[in-house]
Amino acid sequence: MLCLLMSIFHKFIQAINDAAFIWRQELKQVLRDEGVLMFCILVPLAYPLLYSWVYNNETVHEVPVVVVDMSHSHQSRQFVRMCDASPDVQVVSYATDLDEAKSLVSRQVAKGIYYIPEDFATKLNRMEQSTISVYCDMALMLTYKAIYQTAMTVSTKMGAAMQVALAGNYTDREDVITVSPLEVEEVSMFNPQAGYGTSVLPAVLMLIIQQTLALGIGLAAGTSRERNPYGDLVPVHPAYSGIYRIVGGKALCYLMVYAVMGAYLVMAVPKMFSFLQIASWQSLLALMTPYLLACIFFGMTVSCLVRYRENVILLMVFISLPLLFLTGVSWPQSSIPGVWQGVAWLFPSTFGVRAYLRLNSMGASVGDVALELRCLWIQVAAYFGMACLVYGHQLRESRRHANLPA
Amino acid sequence: MKILKENPIYGFCMVVFPLLAMFFFTSLLADGLPQDLPVGVVDLDNTSTTRALIRKLDGFQNSKVAAHYPSVAEARHAMQENEIYGFVYFPKGTTSNLMSARRPKISYYYSNVSLAGGSMVMKDLKTVTTLGSAAVGMATLRAKGATDKQIQAFLQPIRIDLHQVANPWSNYNVYLSTVFVPGIMMLFMFLISAYSLGMELKFNRGKEWIEKADGNIVVAILGKYLPHVVVFLLLISFYQFYIYHVLQFPHVGSWAMILLLSVLGVFGSIGFGIFAFGLMPSLRMSMSICSLWGVLSFSLAGSAFPAMGMDAALQAVTWLFPLRHYYMLFQITVFNGYPLIDAWFHLVALIAFTLLPWFVIGKVKNAMLTYVYIP
Repeated sequence: MLCLLMSIFHKFIQAINDAAFIWRQELKQVLRDEGVLMFCILVPLAYPLLYSWVYNNETVHEVPVVVVDMSHSHQSRQFVRMCDASPDVQVVSYATDLDEAKSLVSRQVAKGIYYIPEDFATKLNRMEQSTISVYCDMALMLTYKAIYQTAMTVSTKMGAAMQVALAGNYTDREDVITVSPLEVEEVSMFNPQAGYGTSVLPAVLMLIIQQTLALGIGLAAGTSRERNPYGDLVPVHPAYSGIYRIVGGKALCYLMVYAVMGAYLVMAVPKMFSFLQIASWQSLLALMTPYLLACIFFGMTVSCLVRYRENVILLMVFISLPLLFLTGVSWPQSSIPGVWQGVAWLFPSTFGVRAYLRLNSMGASVGDVALELRCLWIQVAAYFGMACLVYGHQLRESRRHANLPA
Repeated sequence: MKILKENPIYGFCMVVFPLLAMFFFTSLLADGLPQDLPVGVVDLDNTSTTRALIRKLDGFQNSKVAAHYPSVAEARHAMQENEIYGFVYFPKGTTSNLMSARRPKISYYYSNVSLAGGSMVMKDLKTVTTLGSAAVGMATLRAKGATDKQIQAFLQPIRIDLHQVANPWSNYNVYLSTVFVPGIMMLFMFLISAYSLGMELKFNRGKEWIEKADGNIVVAILGKYLPHVVVFLLLISFYQFYIYHVLQFPHVGSWAMILLLSVLGVFGSIGFGIFAFGLMPSLRMSMSICSLWGVLSFSLAGSAFPAMGMDAALQAVTWLFPLRHYYMLFQITVFNGYPLIDAWFHLVALIAFTLLPWFVIGKVKNAMLTYVYIP
């Protein structure tokens, strides 16, 4: 009995030793291969900074607008002044007619046109409804929103002043009630300034983790294949004798590197650019552990599918943008067609990004993202199984080539 | 030179993946605008007035009242659980206070964590609450005997007449697919251009290749990329045909402009790919550069987050990306149909990208003849 226990124990120790050996080998390889080094170290370090820099300004202010004022009245000038004074719009030019204004938009001098017709003031003074036309260049949604919403806000404000003047109330309170009998409070939660960076960046950060991991693992696998005389993934070496040792050893190597990288991405980068960061480190840990593991096993599974090291670049780079869309950041999750929702479940990034956004930007608790975490753990198990399967296949292949008994 | 087409990766990257990307984006965004986004309601008042407003909200195209919650805290929790994008809150006594002119306060909450969803929900919530406010004024004025026209003029003295030029439905498919899909195609053009040169080096076919062209590198390059150009041109033309003819995307500019844009896009990207390889004649490095550059293009094209919102230094950097010029040329000449002369800079820039390989052509030849592939 003791003998049996001892032998199991020895086997176990041997397995751990082998895994550690593979861990070291893999790490050596990662550090030697500049391609892997670039994707596993350099890109995760530099890209987040670059993206943060791009989106650092969050929103657009002072969108250039050209005004065509045919009314030349006190009221029209007031409208233009108020728009110009708003944070989002800047009146850059006055045009004599619409055609001139259009040519300014064409030359990218302005992004929109405010057209105030001749009868603007006349109609207002006659107590009729008058119109201001807003023409927006729809090539950019953010500038369109800025131009349109500013015009809306200013017109409502001017309208309110006119209502007060007309109503003939006695007290201030009556004026307030005339203008807005129902007080409406607008509360923009979690991303109050509607910043583009706050919305997109967390998703980009999480996606960078998955993509660079898959690229790095794929490149490393490609290299070892090319080094091998038979084009095999698994070298012939006594340590590389069990599937779990290989998969475990390699995974440990990447987990080690990415524990640091992941912490840098989700803790340091948002701090540097003072992006929103609500989640506590405990809940981030609860998310990042399954996410990193799922990504690593996902990367290992993918890495077995490619023969040349460069092909993995072609594959992974291409799916980056579609994956970003599938997470539901740019396009609401509830509007993604069912087929693509299903496809999205295949990738760890989908759940990783969703959970991270809600933990970090919306202050959800771990319990609120339980579904995503559970899915991630299922992916860990599924991709671990698949990685073992494909590595088992590779192991048999290399043994066949080496004429060893399988 | 056409022997190269044997490698299946070419077939995948030049035809299958780009087509996949094309169908992915156009089908993902097929709705144009996000519709029926789930919205919650916290109605503590529960009167016919508030219920009428809730029905109205449900009737809007972009929102759907998905659930009622007994408290604000629970509605917020539902937001954190990703069930709703926003909610409206009617406190108890809203209607009675409204009737007695005590100016009750209602609130609406929305999350901008998903920008597209948040702004849609915000628009609907804002409209419905404004309508609620206007209904009171309307009833008062009607009781005083004002005509409909007078009521309208009093409640909204200045009306904003919005013209969404060239995309009147603010369709996101038109807005995103027109830039991102060519962007992905250009990414493949970068990569494949660098890849095909690199593979020559990797398998030591470089010498043979140069010899076939009698040692003339210009002929060699032209010969090598002729099939690439033809395939990519067909691909991008098919894409343009698909979005403008089959899906009927609006385009003010003429078909000639669309073709010119496609040709320039293909040439500029392939030019960039060859240039990247010429700078670093190694398969791995040039492909890494191309992929990193290509992925950055999507952000720096300035189609989602405008270039004018970025820091000044970055605005200059955007010029180094072919997709930026493609996008500018597209939106000026095709999307808005303005004269080509207003986009001359971007036209010249794309031509310049096409001519970039000229600088490195000697280096490529040298690499082919002398370098040995180091893994």
